[in-house]
Amino acid sequence: MANSNVVDFVMSQTGLALFSLLLTVFCYFGAKRLYKYHRVWWLAPIVLAPIVITLLVFNLEIPLPTYFEYTHWLMAMLAPATIAFALPIYRERKLIRQYPLTIALGVLAGLFLGMISSWLLVKFVPLPVELSKSLLVRSVSTPFALEATSAFGGVPELTAMMVLITGVIGMLVCEPLFKFMRIRTSLGKGVALGASAHGAGAAKANEIGQQEGVIASLTMIFIGIAMVLGAPIFALIFI
Amino acid sequence: MSFLQATIRQCRHWALLLTQIGLFCLLSFACHWFATWTHSPIPGSVIGLAVLLFLLGFKLIPENAVQLGAAWLIGELLLFFIPPVISVIKYEALFEQYGTNILFTLVMGSVCVMFGTGFVVDRVFRFERQLNIKKQARRHAKAA
Repeated sequence: MANSNVVDFVMSQTGLALFSLLLTVFCYFGAKRLYKYHRVWWLAPIVLAPIVITLLVFNLEIPLPTYFEYTHWLMAMLAPATIAFALPIYRERKLIRQYPLTIALGVLAGLFLGMISSWLLVKFVPLPVELSKSLLVRSVSTPFALEATSAFGGVPELTAMMVLITGVIGMLVCEPLFKFMRIRTSLGKGVALGASAHGAGAAKANEIGQQEGVIASLTMIFIGIAMVLGAPIFALIFI
Repeated sequence: MSFLQATIRQCRHWALLLTQIGLFCLLSFACHWFATWTHSPIPGSVIGLAVLLFLLGFKLIPENAVQLGAAWLIGELLLFFIPPVISVIKYEALFEQYGTNILFTLVMGSVCVMFGTGFVVDRVFRFERQLNIKKQARRHAKAA
């Protein structure tokens, strides 16, 4: 009797919604723990967690509105997380004051190369419109990208996916690329990672060195802010 | 005894963390409300970032009052954007049809950005470092 009550609850909409939230949180922290002990790229939480969760949601046939009933609260945390970026800026004010030119030019280069590369590539590679528009903000950190993408006519969900894949690619190609290009300075590596692979790049930069990590986070934050503030103007140019 | 102390410390840590996250949420909510109310073209979250930076910069709040919460929010950023990624199930057909094209575009784009920014920054950094060294040398010369 009690057993069937439990089954009924789990199969009900609220139950499934609650299960989705727990599943998301559990998979994320599980992947994080796993990656701590086994540093292989496909175990990184940015790769493993979304794949496992997507497969489970898909195969268990959990309807998306049910999945979002509680997990949208996780998404709501993106705004407070954006505000939290003020702390690293404040903390590294000395570094910013020391290399204002390098950081400013790095941010500008990263911002515009990100948009121009997408804009040019979709001219040669056939892609549906909603995708090509969602691609423009792909190298910017998620909270900023989701905020800016509507100005370009992008779809938030597709944008989130593009941002995620971009992060993974950046993590994978950075080391051979740096070797090939002979980038050896910590600022060069940090800015390049932060500009091209946002949060995932910053995490990777942290593995390379502390200063690389700091500079990657700063670049990512500044590019994000610049993207959000400039999106209405950039949209006039690139759309 | 030490076990008790450890538990108390743990509880304190969690209470502090939760309070700070709560404060971040409050600030975020207030800024969001302000942005909607004034029809601001700048989104609430960026206004909030500026407000917090202002508060920290003018020492109106100490750094360690937000440190724990900020570290947690930034550290678990990935968790917050997993849900929108899951909803690409809706676009399954799109990914099946254009998968290779998408991947090609993303890889080429990423390589471009990394190549370009890395190149620019590497050069500018060497230049600015020399500038800083010269500036320092001049300061030392003056002091001597």
